[in-house]
Amino acid sequence: MSSVLVNAMLALALGVIVVRRRSVAIIALGAQSLALSIGALQLSSGRSGGFLLAAFVLLSKAVVLPALLYALMRRTREARLVVAASGPLVRLAGAGALALFAVAVVPPLGLGNTHIEHAAVALVLIGIAIVVARRPAFFQLLGLVVAENGLSLLAVSVPGGLSYVIELGALFDLALVVTVAAAFAQRIHSELGTGDTELLRALRD
Amino acid sequence: MTSFVPILAAVVPALPLAGALLPLLARTPNGADRLGLAVAFPTAVAALWLAVIALARGGQPALHGHWYLVDGASGVLLAVTGVVGLCSAVVSPAYLRAHRHGSSSAHDSRSWYYSALLLFWAALLAVPIAGNLAVVWLLVEATTAASALLVAFSGVREALEAGWKYLVLTTLGLSVALLGIVVLAVNQARAGRHGLSALDWHAIQGAAHALPASATLVAFVLLLAGLATKIGWAPVHNWLPDAHSEAPAPISAMLSAALLPSVLLVAWRVKETLEPSVGAATTRAVFIGFGLASILVAVPFLWRALPWKRLLAYSSLEHMGVIALGIGFGTPLAIAGVVVHIAGHALAKSLGFYAALPLLQHDPAAASQAPGGVANVSPSTAAAMGVSLVALAGLPPSPLFLSELLILLGGIAAGYALVSAVAVIGLALGFLGLLHALIEGVVGEGTPRPRGLPRTPERSIVALTAILGTALLALAATGLLLPGSSFVETLARGVL
Repeated sequence: MSSVLVNAMLALALGVIVVRRRSVAIIALGAQSLALSIGALQLSSGRSGGFLLAAFVLLSKAVVLPALLYALMRRTREARLVVAASGPLVRLAGAGALALFAVAVVPPLGLGNTHIEHAAVALVLIGIAIVVARRPAFFQLLGLVVAENGLSLLAVSVPGGLSYVIELGALFDLALVVTVAAAFAQRIHSELGTGDTELLRALRD
Repeated sequence: MTSFVPILAAVVPALPLAGALLPLLARTPNGADRLGLAVAFPTAVAALWLAVIALARGGQPALHGHWYLVDGASGVLLAVTGVVGLCSAVVSPAYLRAHRHGSSSAHDSRSWYYSALLLFWAALLAVPIAGNLAVVWLLVEATTAASALLVAFSGVREALEAGWKYLVLTTLGLSVALLGIVVLAVNQARAGRHGLSALDWHAIQGAAHALPASATLVAFVLLLAGLATKIGWAPVHNWLPDAHSEAPAPISAMLSAALLPSVLLVAWRVKETLEPSVGAATTRAVFIGFGLASILVAVPFLWRALPWKRLLAYSSLEHMGVIALGIGFGTPLAIAGVVVHIAGHALAKSLGFYAALPLLQHDPAAASQAPGGVANVSPSTAAAMGVSLVALAGLPPSPLFLSELLILLGGIAAGYALVSAVAVIGLALGFLGLLHALIEGVVGEGTPRPRGLPRTPERSIVALTAILGTALLALAATGLLLPGSSFVETLARGVL
């Protein structure tokens, strides 16, 4: 997979943690999924038909997921933007530091391509950082998808390809989780009038 | 009998999976109850049948086919999940009758409650018999999707918070675990083993000694860290008290008694498969670390005056820690303790959660504060709570007394005397905390029973107390036969 696509995926993940508007974040996530699927299609020559199928499913994810997220955004309109716990530069610096730390700490994973290994681990950690740093349920949902894209990046880069059964299964599970999370985001919005999860802090010991 | 295994291994998860559609066809809420139960009974029978076959094989090697793996550990988990799932289905009508659902009709909410319960149960039953790590991951992730909806079923703000936290944290944890699986797949592919079969439990175990140690260690750490989130081991247990306390009581029972140990079995299998590469010292240290941390983190909360279900949730944290310790020690004595502990915890904890049904009907404030003097209000509910607490505290003749003793002796036999000593202190403090809850909450002072309350949940809880209490005593007696048995010796050599 070309390093341009991999770097673009990283930059778009950082974009999701920085941007204020949900619509822009959806575009960034869609573009990231698109970059992943193009990379998978690049790798599909000489591999099994199952891998090609998985690559096309990834491509459909780049279209279907943003559409689902856009529909969710329309159904959960925010009267005003949720106030962020920290500024965009702080979030960017935090996520960047986390990713660099992971790159420094994680030993070779066996892929033989350290750039992809580092990028995949960094994407998973940036996804986790998005969940931690962004208060709106909607952005936390995007964080889950960013982390999953990191996993998919590593999976499609496995020599000979990871079993397409696993890739399709993981995508099905992602679709299931995203659907449930979208239902939750909608219910949280209708209960609170906003998607700000900071207001869900009743359960403490 | 073993010729039935491939069919039963398919039927057990397929029954509730297909049956999940039935409640959606119901025309009335009572119809949904009946259809839910109509699926639950044959599912439990099939699960127990397969469990009996697995357990009756004693020390014989695991049965495995193209996609399944049935061993002694599968038998224990199938039995536990079958019983708890059936009991949860049986008590669900009482919960649903008392439940007021805000956003949809009683009929709709009941139908999808049963559908989600059956889907959750199907995934839970498939986890211990799936023969492939990647498939197991998919099943564990599926339990998250189904059970998150159930956690938030009541629709109140606290339940939404608990469900959202559960969904997000466990999904992130499982993403980390999947990263570990992909790292394993990468290294299997480099060794020429491709495709789904490269991630079969036996394929991983057979190849582990030849895999690069550093990459396998990374995979092991990622897998355990990710699974720990779902098991609810400290320090990644934040979702557990919230989800257990806010979910409907029948679902709380399934979460605590079936989900946590099922995922723990996955972690156990990961330990056994990767140990040839990672080394026994490392794998044991990870389990012992999670075990001790979970026990010690749980203790302060067991001393606090918490709402009933929240107290039970922290008790789950403690008991998952005890099981982790037993697996970490790994001696036959400790493994005998693990087997008894998984079964005993499941019976006692599910009874505790079922007791929450009449408790919350008598005293709705018990949802947000510690109960007091329940015996004055409802002797049958108090009896259920008492049996549950006595068993969970490990007071003889509870099987958990025996299992904790076996695990600690197993730890000393394995040379972990200091760890065992710390665990003894933690367990003793936990015991005192639960004893305090028993005295204050169950037999202390309380207000008299309000008039006109329906008796149905009480009749159910009397029957369940008798059945599960007897099962606990039978388990304690059976547990005495386990040390030295070929069944335990085989498990101690590896759950595969």
